[in-house]
Amino acid sequence: MIPGGDSAQDVPELELEFPPKPEFVGTARHAVSALIRLRDLPDDLVQDVKLAVSEACTTAIADGPGEGLPIQLFASADADRVVLEVIDPGTGVERAVEGRPTDIDTDELPFDRVLSLPIIRGLVDEVAITPLEGQGMSVRMVLSVTPEEDGRAHAQP
Amino acid sequence: MDLEVETQTRGDASVLVLRGEIDVYTAPRLRQTIVDLVDGGATRIVVDMEKVDFLDSTGLGVLVEGLKRIKNREGSLAIVATQDKILKIFDITGLNKAFAIHGSVDDALKEPVSGA
Repeated sequence: MIPGGDSAQDVPELELEFPPKPEFVGTARHAVSALIRLRDLPDDLVQDVKLAVSEACTTAIADGPGEGLPIQLFASADADRVVLEVIDPGTGVERAVEGRPTDIDTDELPFDRVLSLPIIRGLVDEVAITPLEGQGMSVRMVLSVTPEEDGRAHAQP
Repeated sequence: MDLEVETQTRGDASVLVLRGEIDVYTAPRLRQTIVDLVDGGATRIVVDMEKVDFLDSTGLGVLVEGLKRIKNREGSLAIVATQDKILKIFDITGLNKAFAIHGSVDDALKEPVSGA
């Protein structure tokens, strides 16, 4: 849990723990999507949440020391906002933080980790990336719910 | 939670019709299809994403790799996409400038190969 923050873990409505393997990312994405739809939130927001979860979980699938340890996902949603937290037990997020979008070199694929955090920052209203004691990182993301009058559920990149 | 990749031939072009979700699990399937096409001599690929429900950075990476591969052979790789949820990720990453993105397969096929 992020010190001092009202983390999604404080009152999580959804808790998932899954192996750091590609086949589980879709399951995580769809579980959070189901939670958001239960709250009858705008479809644009559902799409943004799915993408944010997918990017954070994909980044956490590391080949570093965290390999084998489960990824944790916590989510809460109400009429005003969606709070997500992904716990990366390894070094994937750490390496993504070190990358910069301007460093993208398509000769050195895959560059997904370099793209993931800019995408997250472009989708969510707040993001906090915090080292955990010992090893691992927490990625906490908040997406605000705003009226759909202009066709956008939120988005304040 | 899967990805179907159908390859169609339209004149001198290979049209990849994608259905489903492109993420870290399914993207390797798309990558292999593009690699096989380019290695097999294709110089014009159109990726139809109209029936794609989800795309993330892993899928983008595969498309960028495909673009580079085919450009090395003086070919083109164009995208067909009109859904906001798909266009948004191209916009956020700035990759909308790297790809020729069209509203339909027919429009994409009208472009000269060098235009991609």
